[in-house]
Amino acid sequence: MGRRRRRVDPADAAGALPAAITALSRALPGGPSPETFRRAKFDRPEAAPALWRLLFHVLSPRPADDAAALPTPEAQARLVKSVLRSQGYPRRALVQLPEDGSQGSRELLLALSWLLARGPLLERLLAQIRVRLGDEMPVCEVHSYTRGCHSDRSLGHLSVTEAELLRDPEGGRQLLRRLESENARLEAALEWRRRELVFWQWMDTVLDACPPEASQPTFLPRILERGAGELELVARELQALQEELQAVVEPRRAAWEARVGGWGPGWKATQRASEEAVRQELTALQRAWERGGGLAQPHGPHRLVRSEAGTLGGPGLCATEVIKALRSREACLEAALRQLQGQCRQELARLVGALPGFIWILPPGC
Amino acid sequence: MLPAGCSRRLLAELRDALDACAERQRQLERSLRVSRRLLRVWEPAETPALEPTPGPDTNEEARPPARTPSPQDLKELELLTQALEKAIRVRKGLSKAGGRDEAPSRKSRSIVSPATTASVPPRASGQAGRRASETKPPRGVRQTTVPAKGLPELRLLSVGDQTCKARGAQAAKPEPGLRDQQIAPSAAPQAPEAFTLKQKGILLRLPMAFRKAASQNSRLWAQLSSTETSDSMDATTTAKTQFLRKMQSGWPSSRLCAAEVEAEVGRLRKACSLLRQRMGEELTADPVDWMQEYHCLLTLEGLQAIAGQCLHRLQELRAAVMEHQLAPWPEGRLPSAPSSCGGGADSIWSPQLLLYSSTQELQTLASLRLRVAMLDEQIHLEKVLMAELLPLVSTQEPLGPPWLALCRAVHSLLCEGDLKAARVTLKLF
Repeated sequence: MGRRRRRVDPADAAGALPAAITALSRALPGGPSPETFRRAKFDRPEAAPALWRLLFHVLSPRPADDAAALPTPEAQARLVKSVLRSQGYPRRALVQLPEDGSQGSRELLLALSWLLARGPLLERLLAQIRVRLGDEMPVCEVHSYTRGCHSDRSLGHLSVTEAELLRDPEGGRQLLRRLESENARLEAALEWRRRELVFWQWMDTVLDACPPEASQPTFLPRILERGAGELELVARELQALQEELQAVVEPRRAAWEARVGGWGPGWKATQRASEEAVRQELTALQRAWERGGGLAQPHGPHRLVRSEAGTLGGPGLCATEVIKALRSREACLEAALRQLQGQCRQELARLVGALPGFIWILPPGC
Repeated sequence: MLPAGCSRRLLAELRDALDACAERQRQLERSLRVSRRLLRVWEPAETPALEPTPGPDTNEEARPPARTPSPQDLKELELLTQALEKAIRVRKGLSKAGGRDEAPSRKSRSIVSPATTASVPPRASGQAGRRASETKPPRGVRQTTVPAKGLPELRLLSVGDQTCKARGAQAAKPEPGLRDQQIAPSAAPQAPEAFTLKQKGILLRLPMAFRKAASQNSRLWAQLSSTETSDSMDATTTAKTQFLRKMQSGWPSSRLCAAEVEAEVGRLRKACSLLRQRMGEELTADPVDWMQEYHCLLTLEGLQAIAGQCLHRLQELRAAVMEHQLAPWPEGRLPSAPSSCGGGADSIWSPQLLLYSSTQELQTLASLRLRVAMLDEQIHLEKVLMAELLPLVSTQEPLGPPWLALCRAVHSLLCEGDLKAARVTLKLF
């Protein structure tokens, strides 16, 4: 399945777009039919319900596995609107759509494309519903009893899922079916990747088909009510930190200048070297919280594989490393929790202290 | 009374937390159930078709590199599988006629008729140590023999030899089992042999169809997550950016969205704690010479500068939130959608292997993971409660006994993590 370069040939265009849309429709979990996409361009009402449902599944925080918990179409529509707004969806028309799910297929198509254009939406969805063949829960015995019988040498033993499929052939057939349908989706996703250019060109025309957005929208981004509160707290923290640092730094700098004042220019080079070293260290520190930074989290899905230390020299994390990382994360979190609690204490004392006639007495040991 | 909006949000959060816990518990219980079932004796109907290949080098020693079975192997294996399947069907109609306890020293495979059954692994070579001592299971393992009528006379010796040879039988030890094999005609039909993972797990083989599907699956995922670029990819990226820009053109410049503000505030909070941690380290360090002293001073000044920058950024965000100012669209940098996966988005592609070597490690791993998850949840709830309850303390009127109780409860809840206080609060309201 090589990655052939595909130049979009005008003569090819007639076939390329349907192929791209079909690929997308097959790749999306719960994807609407290609016909729905075409109807949506013309804002046909019959295309709306499928698109509302799709967007709900894409945007809802917890992918709903069981149908019983599915909210009403109105609730679904409200969630879709609210999440899109909070992510900054730039068009007002979405907000104005009726929530009974009867209209708006073109706007929903635009919304879907907007999400697709911004990030790896498709891949994220596929990864969420991925068939897990390995064990993420710690199980030991199945691993040791089936050592040596896995055809994949880097794994060496069966997982619980695999042993299950041998014990229960019907379940095994179901697993196989799920795997095969996932493979079909993945192939469609790769197909989509090859063809999507023509889709974006088409979406341009869909956008053009919309009536122009009349005036400057006056609706305000719905900043979560909580967000402002947290912002204030963080601001106060940073303020306090800055003041502490200032209190420490000023005398030290003064003392230093006094000491160094008599020194000749000879030590300037060393001074600059120090400055450079510190700058590098602090840049590295900053990377820890910047966008995209952060250490590899050992929380993602991992397939547990039993191996005597050092035998399977292949790729993979070592449990001892992960344990170390988890311990340090545990320590960090404990510190963070303590810090939050301390902050609460201070905040509470401040709030109550500001009121006349009240004395805030902390319980002993606090 | 807690304001309606507040209590609604709190309830939703707490319910979410409870649901997450319940889900976790369900998963664990399910996993336990499944594992226990696997470790018990499998029902006869569940007994899988095993490969009659012992291989002197099973689990303990390093396996020889995989080699593709010859067509001859495959054919014979196929015949074997068919025979097994037929045997299972036939066996169901047989009455139990007692069994023969398997002698621990028995090296031969229990293939007493040309038609094989679930074969007992030979207590040979590579498994000598542990497994030999485990050959007396609580229930006697009974061997099955199936009437040979109608079944082709399989040359099992040859199969065994073949596969043994095929495995590159660097077995210095002979395979006595095969030589000693009794191809005696079966006597009375006997009860089905119990299958346990413990004894015969190593003989299991995954079906071919599954293996094919699984390897195709990993191949496809690898392709999907590869980030190689090509001309067509670049053209696509340009087309996407252009589309986004056109979508945006409803109004001249974009605005910060709530999700971004939230993400950035979170980053700045993390920044604050890391800066503070570093400050602590510098203040407790004991400089040995003037160079270290200078390094320390510069670091502290640097931290101060960074703290100032963070504060400035926060004030910008606050202004944007309060006055809904328009922020310039970040050119070329697509804002990331909040990842619902929790951790880094990089780890969503392929599950990495996590190698462990002892039960102890697994236990530690499991308990640490649980602890970290619990702490995460606790911190989240703490933040939520802080954001909801602290403002109440300052705005509640009148300042009567209920308010005092609120203060006490909030203190216990938020500052000491004392949940009993929460009950008191809820009772009062």
